Amino acid sequence: MNLHANEDGLRVGVVNVSMVAPAQTKPSVAAKRARLPALRFLVLPGQIVSIVVLVVPLLVALYMSFTDWTPTHGSLFNASFIGLDNYSELLIYDSRFVEAVVRTILISVVCLALEFTIGLGLAVLFLREFRGKAVFFSALLTPMMILPVVVGYTFWMLFQSNGPINQMIGLFVAGNATPEWFRSAPLAIITVIVTEVWHWTPLFFLILLSGLNAVPENPIRAAIILGASPRQVFWRVILPTLKPVIVVAFVIRAMEVIKLFDEVFMLTRGGPGSSTETISLYIYKLAFNDFQLAYGAAAAFIVLVGTLVLINLLLLPIRDQLLQERR
Amino acid sequence: MPVRRLTPVLALVLVVALIVTLFPIFWIVMTAIKPPTDWNAAPAIWVPSKPTLVNFRTLFDPNAIREYGVGGVSQSATASVFGSILASVVSTFFSIVIGLFAAIGLSRYAGGSKVTPLIILSGRMFPPAAIAVPFVIIFSAVNIIDTYGGLIAIYVAATLPFSTWMLKSFVDDLPREIEEAEMIDGRSRLMAHFTVTIPLMRGGLFATTLFIFILNWSEFMFALVLSYGRISTIPVQLAKYVTATAGTLYGVQAALAVLAMVPLVLAGFAIQSHLARGMTFGAIKR
Repeated sequence: MNLHANEDGLRVGVVNVSMVAPAQTKPSVAAKRARLPALRFLVLPGQIVSIVVLVVPLLVALYMSFTDWTPTHGSLFNASFIGLDNYSELLIYDSRFVEAVVRTILISVVCLALEFTIGLGLAVLFLREFRGKAVFFSALLTPMMILPVVVGYTFWMLFQSNGPINQMIGLFVAGNATPEWFRSAPLAIITVIVTEVWHWTPLFFLILLSGLNAVPENPIRAAIILGASPRQVFWRVILPTLKPVIVVAFVIRAMEVIKLFDEVFMLTRGGPGSSTETISLYIYKLAFNDFQLAYGAAAAFIVLVGTLVLINLLLLPIRDQLLQERR
Repeated sequence: MPVRRLTPVLALVLVVALIVTLFPIFWIVMTAIKPPTDWNAAPAIWVPSKPTLVNFRTLFDPNAIREYGVGGVSQSATASVFGSILASVVSTFFSIVIGLFAAIGLSRYAGGSKVTPLIILSGRMFPPAAIAVPFVIIFSAVNIIDTYGGLIAIYVAATLPFSTWMLKSFVDDLPREIEEAEMIDGRSRLMAHFTVTIPLMRGGLFATTLFIFILNWSEFMFALVLSYGRISTIPVQLAKYVTATAGTLYGVQAALAVLAMVPLVLAGFAIQSHLARGMTFGAIKR
């Protein structure tokens, strides 16, 4: 991990935004460009694809969210403009939406906390030397390479009432007291969290381990010479150095877990009832089961704004660093 | 720092982590080779006494399973396997080519753009379910709904941030001086990129290609909402099996899941040292 790269790492996401950004006018940059013949056209194909395939649909969705359009209207222009009605309906009257938002945030917080803790624990283990380290390392990374749909399906099988998980629970519980995982709301939420944690802890492990390996040794030596205990070295020296890496890991995972869909779709379809519905699943059902497309688009923009705020808060701890590095 | 070894307790923790990690994979592979009687037996059967490949055969020949007295599967998975290969390979190719141009352009000629990181992140924050809505409408209007062309266009756009930033991080790793030396030889800048930059970063190019392939192969939601029968991918087919049969065809589903998983795990191990870079858009270089 090099700190300079942080800037690149956070300038991530949709390429078009950075590419469409107006040319810089700072003198140093202009001077540099005078020396270099402009090959900026190299980024053109990327710009075009991104604008046509991402920005245009987003604008259409934004316009749609202010209308009452459904497929029966035919053309989008046949729908009437209803201003912010969709938005107020969602935020004030749609308890299913509000519940989905709260649920998604809760699932995200629990998952990220578990993934970070387990991932960091495993990464610290890998600072020690042991035989077969490379094999263990590869094996522990496997879950993150598997497609989400397959992960969802696999855990759906594991949590079946005659599945292996209940079989193992049955060793400790008498009779037919084993849980029906998909019939009760709290248990179904647990299956979602377990699945998600299994799937993505390896990413935290991987990112944190590469961060730990890059922690410079001199401050650690200095701390030891000054009489710091291993615990103090970890909490006072290693962890603060690791802060940017931790933030990167959290930002990247937060962006994905907020969109949680595939695994839940395979595990519970949001059930029982709507008790495991995530934001994405609810929007999907609105749009493609109930054909409330305009309403779904409005829901999506609320989520977008919320996520922007959330990520901004997550980035706060390393904001000064980012500003500095942007020269 | 002194070399520290694992204590017995920590070694135990590590072994438990390994078992927890591998058990679900073990289970799906075992289910894929179970004959129908073992699929959902109570108590659950861990290792089938008579392993069989009938589940895999059933994927391509829906009647194969009948030899076990189980009704045939309604649909062959052949089309979805070809669909997945077609959509993933073609969209990976375009994503890499376009991303490579953009990466060189951004790394060498953008003069360090100072865009707020936040704005760019926002594209990945938008729930795909919502982007899918306008896609369905626009694609219906221009008649490319339910075609691979439409799906590929989305995949290219969706993976372009990953391919561009990952490739850019590899271009950034190369010193400019190497290209400049080539340019002094009278070659144009563009030529120098083809003869110097790209060959020097072929390792990174390979890793990025596999990484983008993994992303495309895994994609589920867009394929789900944009396919109405003419096109299919493995994830969509897998979800359909679950709906259509209410979970009675465990083995066949598991076989498809294994089939979907194997190429990805192989690709993942091949680029293991670059996974962190890909997932973090080049922020973490190893």
